[in-house]
Amino acid sequence: MTTYANDTLVGTDCLICGARNLSGASLCGQCSAPLAIVHDIAAQDRDPQIVSIIGESNVGKTVYLGFLLDMLTQRAGDYEAIPKGAYSIDLPQTVISHMAQRSFPPKTPMEANEWYWAYYQICQRKPKPKWIDLIMPDMAGESLAAEVASPNTFKVIRNLLRLSAGSMLLVDAALAANGATQGDFFAVKMLSYIDSMHAAKRDERIECPIAVVLCKADFCPECFDDPRRFVRANLNRLWNLCESRFANVEFFSCSVVGSLGYATSPQEDYVVPIPLHTGLQGVLEPFQWIVDQF
Amino acid sequence: MVLKLLGFKQAERAKPKAVAPAKAGRPTPKARPTPVYEPAEHIVLEEDPVQRHMQLERFGSVVRHRERWKDHPLIEAAFQAAVEEIDRTFAIVPEGFVSLAMTTTDFPGAAEEDVETEPFLLARCCVTNRQYQLFVDSGGYADLDLWPADVWPHLINFKDQTEQPGPRFWRDGVHDQRLADHPVVGICYYEAAAFAHWAGYRLPTGAEWQMAASWRIRSSAHVLRRYPWGDALDTSRCNIWASNVGGTTPVDAYPTGAAPNGALQLIGNVWEWADSDYFVTDDSGRMVVGDMLLKEIRGGAYDTYFPAQATSCFRTGLPSLARVHNVGFRCVVDLSNTSPAPAEGDRK
Repeated sequence: MTTYANDTLVGTDCLICGARNLSGASLCGQCSAPLAIVHDIAAQDRDPQIVSIIGESNVGKTVYLGFLLDMLTQRAGDYEAIPKGAYSIDLPQTVISHMAQRSFPPKTPMEANEWYWAYYQICQRKPKPKWIDLIMPDMAGESLAAEVASPNTFKVIRNLLRLSAGSMLLVDAALAANGATQGDFFAVKMLSYIDSMHAAKRDERIECPIAVVLCKADFCPECFDDPRRFVRANLNRLWNLCESRFANVEFFSCSVVGSLGYATSPQEDYVVPIPLHTGLQGVLEPFQWIVDQF
Repeated sequence: MVLKLLGFKQAERAKPKAVAPAKAGRPTPKARPTPVYEPAEHIVLEEDPVQRHMQLERFGSVVRHRERWKDHPLIEAAFQAAVEEIDRTFAIVPEGFVSLAMTTTDFPGAAEEDVETEPFLLARCCVTNRQYQLFVDSGGYADLDLWPADVWPHLINFKDQTEQPGPRFWRDGVHDQRLADHPVVGICYYEAAAFAHWAGYRLPTGAEWQMAASWRIRSSAHVLRRYPWGDALDTSRCNIWASNVGGTTPVDAYPTGAAPNGALQLIGNVWEWADSDYFVTDDSGRMVVGDMLLKEIRGGAYDTYFPAQATSCFRTGLPSLARVHNVGFRCVVDLSNTSPAPAEGDRK
């Protein structure tokens, strides 16, 4: 058992990067992870698992994670979820309060010290009660892109992905259905990054569970009919890499917004997307699958 | 003080790479089991037009066409039976007025439009899969008179899972018989309107729907209901996300959630198409538009997360051609249509 310290004498070791921080620091000086998580974990008796939500900018990571956490705290799917620390509630609160007022939450800043982190104790009550501690940070898409393009730009991302017990890779199904290849390439870059990090040989495959989540599937309901077929047809690069390098991949479709409108003005040359109403589909399933893999 | 924390960090870092030897060949990720489908049976249509109308439950149409069939020996009996059936399955909504929210947020003082509504008959329940099957089996999708001309090019897209004409989630042109009494979903606004026209009814306007749900009858009290049963949310009276059902229920479920006139499930289970375009502005006065024409939908559905979006006054819109899993419809009858007068506006 490793010994960590957070007192006035020796300071606090970061859970994510291991750097020693000055006492009283709230964020890790090395990777900007909140040190409050270290203190909260100290009081528990279980090793936490990290689940990473990854995907390109504007794919919907913040909204997805916010709804997922809020659903869990409302005991969806027979889960019981206990947020540890007020900081864990900030993300669902922000997402829910914005979406209830028919607006999307603000974009996650690139700076890691402004990300939301969530530390939850979650009980899967069936078939028999099983508690797990989960850490789920809300990483910015631009930061992920920067780290993938130039490794170690964001050390926190590298460390998080290395420590992750599972990842949810969000891909914009609406763009993919329209023939855009951007999402396909970004997803391949992300998985390639994870692949490189594991330094697995060509004849080995990575076992870390990856849930590929087709977001905004309300735009192309075919996703819900057969997400696997959709990925194969519309995200073929991603499909092939999953087959070649990852042993534990599953595909899901998800939708949070029931209908999307756009606020427009002749005087302005941009439109503001407005979530007219919510309609949750497939939010919990990827999480359930990931947890089942632990 | 030194805190003894977990062995998590170092143990994870020291852990061997989470990799496995690749198996021979390319393993295809496992396929999910195909859901079981229990197809309903097609019906055999009656030869006689009046009997066929009754068989297809086109009661509104029978009432409308009474004059046309005045020499038919069965028309009077059919007319009486149709009126009785309308009386049994529809409920009156008295005249009243509603205030339609004209912005996306309902902050105090936000723009509203007051609309007066005439009395009408509202179906007590949404149209079921079994009822919609009658429309499909009678060739409703091939009868161009039921569809606006500008929708004709889209008719080829109104197919089920097996490319047969019908709602999106059906197969081989029939519904799953286990869902016979559930609301039909996977139909766009035009399919809902075509069914209503075929049956001799029409869709409610957004104002009429709101009147039925909020029950804002003309009185000195000016009482407005947030829900058909009262002002407080009660998840035992409706099927929304918080009710923890996770799918549609039969259209006659939740009797305690009925409106004063007995109309069921105005809140929850499925959104309902309304015969109104959805025009609103945002807080800044900017017009809100969709990818295509937005038609109004009302009432919330089983997957509506925010209770505030499943109330009698909440307005939202959906592209008119959207065929989604959580939108159905119910019909209305104008009170004048239950009289023996011929229907002049009938397109057939």
